[in-house]
Amino acid sequence: MFWKRKKTDVTEQEIYADLSKKFGDKILEFMEEGTHNPTVIVEADQIGKIVSYLKDDERFQFDSLMNLAGHDPGAESELSVIYHLYSTELKHYITLKVFTSREEAVVASVANIYQTANWHEREAFDLYGIKFDGHPDLKRILLEDDWEGFPLRKDYVPAEFYRGMRIEKVK
Amino acid sequence: MIQLLANWILSFDMLSGMGASVAWGLSLFIVAALIFVFVAVNAIVLVYIERKVSAFMQVRLGPMRVGKYGTLQTVADALKLLQKEDIIPKMADKVLFVVGPWVILVASVVTFAAIPFSDTLLAANMNIGLFYVVSISSIVVLGIVMAGWASNNKWSLYGAMRSAAQIISYEIPVGITLIAVVAVVGSLNLQTIIEAQGGTGNLFHWIPIPLPNWFIFHSPFLFMAAFVYLIGATAEINRVPFDIPESESELVAGFMTEFSGLRWALFFLSEYANATLVAFLVSIVFLGGWQSPFSSYQGTQIGFSIITIFALFWTIFVQGKTKRLSVYPLGLSLVITIAAWLFPGFAIWMASPGIFWMLMKVAGIIFLLMWFRWTFPRLRVDQLMYLSWKVILPLSLINLMGVAIWMWLTGEIQF
Amino acid sequence: MGRLHAEEMILNMGPQHPSTHGVLRLKLRTDGEIVSHIEPVIGYLHRSFEKHAENLEYQMVTPFTGRCDYLAAMGSEHGYAMAVEKMLGIELPERVEYLRVIFAELQRIASHLVAVGTFGLDVGAITPFIYCFRERELILDLFEMASGARLLYNYIWIGGLAHDVPPGFVEKTYEFLDAFEKRVAEYNQILTGNKIFIERAADIGVMTPEVAINYGVTGPSLRASGVNIDIRRTEPYSIYDRFDFDVPLGQGAMGTVGDSWDRYYMRVLEMSESAKIVRQALDQLPVEGDVQAAIPRRIRPPQGEIYFRSENPRGELGYYIVSDGKNVPLRLKMRSPAFSNLSVINEIGQGWMISDVIAILGSLDIVLGEIDR
Repeated sequence: MFWKRKKTDVTEQEIYADLSKKFGDKILEFMEEGTHNPTVIVEADQIGKIVSYLKDDERFQFDSLMNLAGHDPGAESELSVIYHLYSTELKHYITLKVFTSREEAVVASVANIYQTANWHEREAFDLYGIKFDGHPDLKRILLEDDWEGFPLRKDYVPAEFYRGMRIEKVK
Repeated sequence: MIQLLANWILSFDMLSGMGASVAWGLSLFIVAALIFVFVAVNAIVLVYIERKVSAFMQVRLGPMRVGKYGTLQTVADALKLLQKEDIIPKMADKVLFVVGPWVILVASVVTFAAIPFSDTLLAANMNIGLFYVVSISSIVVLGIVMAGWASNNKWSLYGAMRSAAQIISYEIPVGITLIAVVAVVGSLNLQTIIEAQGGTGNLFHWIPIPLPNWFIFHSPFLFMAAFVYLIGATAEINRVPFDIPESESELVAGFMTEFSGLRWALFFLSEYANATLVAFLVSIVFLGGWQSPFSSYQGTQIGFSIITIFALFWTIFVQGKTKRLSVYPLGLSLVITIAAWLFPGFAIWMASPGIFWMLMKVAGIIFLLMWFRWTFPRLRVDQLMYLSWKVILPLSLINLMGVAIWMWLTGEIQF
Repeated sequence: MGRLHAEEMILNMGPQHPSTHGVLRLKLRTDGEIVSHIEPVIGYLHRSFEKHAENLEYQMVTPFTGRCDYLAAMGSEHGYAMAVEKMLGIELPERVEYLRVIFAELQRIASHLVAVGTFGLDVGAITPFIYCFRERELILDLFEMASGARLLYNYIWIGGLAHDVPPGFVEKTYEFLDAFEKRVAEYNQILTGNKIFIERAADIGVMTPEVAINYGVTGPSLRASGVNIDIRRTEPYSIYDRFDFDVPLGQGAMGTVGDSWDRYYMRVLEMSESAKIVRQALDQLPVEGDVQAAIPRRIRPPQGEIYFRSENPRGELGYYIVSDGKNVPLRLKMRSPAFSNLSVINEIGQGWMISDVIAILGSLDIVLGEIDR
């Protein structure tokens, strides 16, 4: 299965080790337990630099951002953004994760590195209210432009009305 | 025909007092009404046929519920359209919006005044018949531009602009192609053009295959001209693959987007009137109009025997492979052949000119147009222009020159 | 000589338009017929799938996944079921795996038939569309036989299938394959080789591999650009490593590699490949066996997260699931292929005509249900 298969010899541990050497304390943690995709946790404002390093480096060539997802573990904890990177050339993976505070959720944008991120970041902004610093056109994508609140946050209270129309309660 | 009708009216005792001019005016009105009825009924029938033809091409049944085999479906549709609410968009230019569809309809109906249905059946035997038909039918573009502009809708505007560009571009090659025929006949009169195609002759003057003297067999150039004309005319009447003014997958419905009810029905009516007109012109100019393909009753018998043999081979070798046998072509031609051999009267009737042959040819051409429509994708607007200016127009010019040279070679004209 | 330049016009294509494949709105900036900028506006079909999923038990999410990509519901359900099973770490009976592959591949054929047909429709050819729907109807009959539904099946459940296929299903599927494999030639006759169609599709909207990868384009659209990535082949999930099939790649047979024609033709070729897989799976299908693995009534995956991707007809369908050990997912994100595939339209559609934008959009084969979710 794909998280066990490797085409190249580069493992997630090696990527983590390389990143730690390059970026030092900007790389916070390596999470292997409790996830099927070994994850490197990095600082939110450094994600752009780290990702472009991973993309350009000969050994890694992470040229594809498969997925970018916002995540809110609970009403009291920090928001996070998860990046699933893939190399179409070398067929290996790495998962990156950043944490950002709930009140002032700002993450560096990777939209100018991966065009995929353009819409995915807009989606994360739309549903989680995470601002992506440096995004060319950060606005709501799935919801209406004048929607209030960020529905996928755990502390979101469903709106009762939208433009005078009653929204039916979902149990 | 108008004069004949007037004389016929005056021949009744109780009507003879009305005077020649009143009778003439009355018959004028009757003929106009007849033409309009022809166009309207024609559209209803053609819509039904088109739906059935498309259905059979698409392995469906088509309309089946209203009337036997859905024959009354288009009548019901027409009634529905007539009673629909009359909607004029708020921001539309009301005068143009109302007038536009009527301009299109009138332009396509009045052209039928000059169309001969048989050697006697025509409204007006004009000496400039061909010129009249071509020039009047191009008024249609005016109505389309009016409708598209008046709708105050961007899609309509695109449709109208495309249509204007397209129709004007294709008028030129179509006109030049027709001139090639006029050069052969030396007349613009449609009856004269048909009469010039009587009798039997060799294919392309020299090849010894006996064929009717139709202009499509006159020379390789007119043979090509027939196809050039058909392509150009298909573009002129906005049918697939040249339906870019309507192009429903791009422009929603083009210039018709904002129209509904009666006004939309008028567009439909004129669309089918135009298609019929083109079919008439092709059969008049290239396929001998109301002339029979057989010059004598022996010709009928031999001709249909050959057709039956072809049908037999086609059934065995072409249909046999696909395992979808249809006995209709073979059966029909076999029945006609036997009838022609058994009953000389039938064979003579088949060999004589008349409205039957005219309508058969028209039906054939219309079927061809439907076949195009349900087979081809649509061209893009610039490809359409490319086809017009860089392919069709040079071809039509070559045809014109070629026909002149051909006539000199065959000795039809001397310098 | 300067180019003639007129005032630019904003043209709103959609949300109600025959060729936007649903409720998509394209804001086109046009200069005459030439489109200089395309801004897709999405969200008209947003049904809060992810919000719903956070409030539903794992089993209850399955029908929602089908409603996202409603043209490939089996594929979506398959992907979701596999993701949750991977978190649970359960093994499935052989028969389940084979039947799932059969359904997923039949669904791929059905979905590609719609894609091929509607692409024909977009460039003005109406008849191929009906031909394609004729075959799709046969597949839907098979699905109806198995699941009782024709569009949204709720058939592939976590841990297996809802129930076994009825007797006669295998024979009927063979019959369908026999008929279908011959009919692919018909599409090629009526559409693929048509001169006008080639004029309309070849060289239009060329997507280079770099652009495709950077925008996250996946599936047949990516392979049309010559990038050999098919998740069934690169990381065989389920039992795809047991089948012999080709991954067709864009050759630029009629124009440039990665043009609309290539994207269209990939789907025609993939239909034949899928038919090949179905045939092999039917041949190897175990006659006896359970169609449900032993799973608890309440599914509580261990705490953790997973990103699982599978090859849906439209491309890479990924599920990012976070579990906190409860019976309700903490977070479920669907990485829908058409979402990324659509985002490339401005890059490859700029500078083409309105008609071409329609053709390019059709060649990307989007389903708004999964874009908006």
